[in-house]
Order: sequence, then structure tokens, then C-alpha cells
Amino acid sequence: MRRRSGAILAAIGLGLAGCGGEAKTTDGAWQSQMREVRMAVRGSEDDPMITRRLTAYKTYIGKATGLPVKLYESSDFNGTIQALSSGQVDIATIAGGGYANVDAQIGDLAQPILTVRQAEGDTGYYSGLLVMADSPYRSIQDLKGKTLGYVDFNSTSGYLFPRKMMRDQGIDPDTFFGRSSFAGGHTQAVMALDNGQFDATIIQAGGGDPEHGFTTGAHFTMARRGVVDLDDFRIIWTAGPIPNSAIVVRTDRPQPFIDAVRGAMAALPYDDPEVWRDIGQPDGAAYTAVTREHYAPIIKLRAEDIAARRSGVRQ
Amino acid sequence: MRRIALAAGAVLLSAAQAQTPVLPLRVADITGEAGPCGPLPPSAPAGQKAYFDLLAERLQTDVLNCPMADAATAAVALAAGEIDLARLDGAAFAPVAGKTRNVLTVRAAGALNRIPVVVAAAQGAPFRTLPDMAGASLVFGGPLKASLDVPRRALSDYGADEAFFGPQTVARDYDEAAVRLRAGEAQAMVLHAGAWQKLCRGDHPGEDRCQDLRVIWRQRPVADQAWSVRTDISDDRRFRLIGIHVALHNEAPEAFAWAVGRAGGEEFEPTEAQALLHQGPTVGS
Repeated sequence: MRRRSGAILAAIGLGLAGCGGEAKTTDGAWQSQMREVRMAVRGSEDDPMITRRLTAYKTYIGKATGLPVKLYESSDFNGTIQALSSGQVDIATIAGGGYANVDAQIGDLAQPILTVRQAEGDTGYYSGLLVMADSPYRSIQDLKGKTLGYVDFNSTSGYLFPRKMMRDQGIDPDTFFGRSSFAGGHTQAVMALDNGQFDATIIQAGGGDPEHGFTTGAHFTMARRGVVDLDDFRIIWTAGPIPNSAIVVRTDRPQPFIDAVRGAMAALPYDDPEVWRDIGQPDGAAYTAVTREHYAPIIKLRAEDIAARRSGVRQ
Repeated sequence: MRRIALAAGAVLLSAAQAQTPVLPLRVADITGEAGPCGPLPPSAPAGQKAYFDLLAERLQTDVLNCPMADAATAAVALAAGEIDLARLDGAAFAPVAGKTRNVLTVRAAGALNRIPVVVAAAQGAPFRTLPDMAGASLVFGGPLKASLDVPRRALSDYGADEAFFGPQTVARDYDEAAVRLRAGEAQAMVLHAGAWQKLCRGDHPGEDRCQDLRVIWRQRPVADQAWSVRTDISDDRRFRLIGIHVALHNEAPEAFAWAVGRAGGEEFEPTEAQALLHQGPTVGS
């Protein structure tokens, strides 16, 4: 009896092995490896409603992948960077400077897969030097010896890129300004300027260009929420374009997951334009596939900046 | 013993249900001559082989080549479940649009995405639809591709070419176009959807700067060809197919060059389900 039972169990085993061997894989195999999708999102940005609106996005990605989606909210730049670098999350939306930081930590274990291509075909945005409209400052030269607010050490448009452009224009940002400090975020930078903490602050500016003006950025979002009045501010200097933020994935996740999530996100503006708008993306824009090469200039820039700081050349 | 056998049967049944073998992917190859689906012949072009190998690796299944006489035959075979992926044109797709859907198209080098276009007029304008607008004067929202070329192409796709309208001017940008429309210098304004959004989104809570205007027409240009699948395709396979194709130009340029089927393609772009069809009345229909 025992021998016959053993034979049946062995047959079951062989049967299962046979099932597994006949098909190269099975539908749903990668989902059982992943069990859930963990996405990092920035919270407390210029629009606190964004997290609530991300519910529809979460539902869309969940349906597309067949997995529950968990959003991990981080209130600062470094939180998202470390969550992705440590593998606590599978995927994150992250600016070029943040991706450069991740790349420096884990290299090929993270890969940018998509970025936004605007209706006009551009894939970049700008840094703006913002001052109060009633201030006497008309150009960056007027700010010699004055106080400047940066966004965050890991911010591309709020630190890394504009400093490079200043140096290219003969301005050493470490000595030109009287004092500079980090506000901690784009919203905080605008608030600090509005409160008189800085004479000028660096912010992100998008949805346009220096010639035609901008329509997106922290001060626009804050104005639409009634927190500030746009007429109180002026942009006196710009730097860019800077490569748009990337969707970055961990490459040690199953390739079918990477393909599925890339496909679902790329299809979003066509499949569900309302969700596309809900996550703050402009009409007419869409995702386009990118590689590490797209961010190579930012990666180089960050490496140079850190090397200069370590050598004591820069503050 | 009987209990063990029953339990064994249940385990096998459950395992079979949980581990549905991956179906092969049968790809239409419109060659002018029909043939049965099968593995690629050794004589297949290197680009086609690279494309099939990549799809097989990434979908972890067999990819079969299905020679088809023409796009119409491929569309019928797709709808009947005899193939799984086919490049179709509008004429081939229309009869099977209920059972199939478009998933991908190709963006030409230097071209823009298939961005939606908006035609807007004053609230009191005498026309309600695009076909009503014969002879109407237009102002376009700028001289760039997104503000002029794409809108003209989209309008033309719906039968409203330049000759259909009255006098047409091109403003410096969308702001100036709106000023001209509101000043009565044109009866309608043509913008791409991103410009319309920027124009109308106010800088104060709840502000809508376009309350005095009405959208007459909003459409994307019609795609001239699109890679299509059946509507009952699983989300998993559809999104993986899209995810593989949108990165193909970066990851496997030789495969991409073969897959797009014509020179000058820059990348695959996802599409809405009926990108090959008109989504509203056309002029003269």
C-alpha cells in the first residue's frame, strides 16, 4: 500500500515536472515571483493632492500587471533614491540627478526605461532663477553677494544643472552669492523666497521655454491652489533644457515585469487620458523609451560635482 | 488509496489550471502569398530573425511566422484567432474592428506623436461640428510642427483640407491665436491639445480661461498603419508586447528596422484601440 502510494505521489511529481517542462514558462509565472509592485512616489511636493490622484494610476498599473501595487511615499529626494538603490521598491519616477545618484550606487541594477516627450517633441525642462516681482533684481549679475536658495543636493533643476550653467557663464556659485542653502523641495524654495528667507531661489520651470514663458513648476501649481500669487514672482535667468525625469526600474526584477510595466505606462496616454492628466502629465505628451545614455551628461555632471567637492575645490 | 488517487487528481488539475502554458505568438508576414504558420525558414532576413528571436526570448514562448497574401487576409485571420499580431491599414482593419484593436504604430523620424488637435470657436459660433465649418476662417496657434503641421494633417484626415476652410492665418503662439479669435479676426482657432490646456488652465484656483470658447472638434490624426491584436488578448501579453516594441529601436536596432517594415521609422508608439479609424463625422460623409 505504502509503495503504491509512493508510486502515485511520484507520478504526481513527474506529472508536474512534465507540465513545467513542456511549456517554456507559464502565464502568471513572473507575477508569482513579484507578488506585488512597489512604486516610489514623491509626496509633499508642490501639489499635495497628487498622492490622492495617484489612486487611479495605482489601479491602472495593478490591472495591467495583475498585481497589487503599493505606493511608497517619500517626502524628500533622497528617500526615493535610497528606496530604489536598496531594492525596497521596484520602480520609481526620478529626476536625472536622482537617477545619477542611483547609478553611482548600484550601476546596472537600475535602468531608466521611459521619459516624457512633450507635444512639441521636446524631452526636457528648465531651471529658473526666481525673485520677487517687487525686488530690484533684473539679472543674475544683480544677485552678487545676495542669498540664494537651492532645492536639494539631489535636485537636477534645483541644484546640479543651474550650478553647471552658472560656471559655464563665468559665475562661481560657491563664491558669487553671499550665502546659499537648501530649502528641501521646490515648494519650500518658493515659500522661503516668499517669506524673505532668500533674495532668489532656483526652481523647476516647464511647459514652455525661455522665449515663450513657462506654464508648469512649483510656483504655478501653488498659485493654482491659491497658496501664492504668480504676479508676485519673476524669473530672471534660466538654464536648460534638462532631460525630463525618468521611470527607473530595478533590473534584477523579472524581465516580463519590466516589459509589462513599460508597456502599460507607455500606453497610458492613449488608454486612459484622464489618468494621464491626473498624474500631472500634459495633454499631447506621451512616454518615450530611454536608456542610461539619455542621462549620461547628468551622470557626468554629478560625478564632476562630487569629485570637486571631495577635493575641496568646491564647497 | 482512493482518497490518495482523488487527492492526486485534484493536485494535477489545480496545477494544470495554475500553470497555463504560454501560447505561441503567431505573427503575420504579408508577403503576397499565403502559407501555414511555422518557424522562420533559414533563409529569413537577419532582421526578421533578430525580431523573432527577441520576441521569443522576452515572451518566453515560440514565435511563428504566418505568411499572408495581404493585409485584408491578415485582418480576417487575426479576428478568427488564426494569428495573434498583424500590421494593418484602415481598410483592412475596419471590417474586423469589433474583434481586434490597434496597439502600436510607428512614429517617423523627426515627426511628433499623434497628438490630439482642438478646433475651438466662440460660444455663439454658428457651427457645431467639423463638417459645418465649410468656408470658416481659421487661426492656427503657431508655425511649428505641433501647432501647424499636425493640426493640418489631422483636419485633412477628416476631409477638412486647406481648401475646405476660408482664410487661414498663423499666429505667433497659442496666446496670440486666442487674442485674434476673440477679436473676431478668425471664426475658429486650431491648437494642439497641449497648447489648448495651457491656454485654458488659469493661474488661480478653479480658474478656466476658456469659458467663452467652445470645442468644436478634438481628434488625433488617423494612423496609416497599426500593429493589431484581438480584443480578447490578455492585458499581460498586450502590455508586454507594447513594452518590448517601444524600446526595440534602442535594444535591437536590426530587429526594429525589419519590424517597422519601411525606412524612416524612429520608434514604436502605443495607440488607442481604433487609431486607424475616424472617430467622428468626416467632411462629405
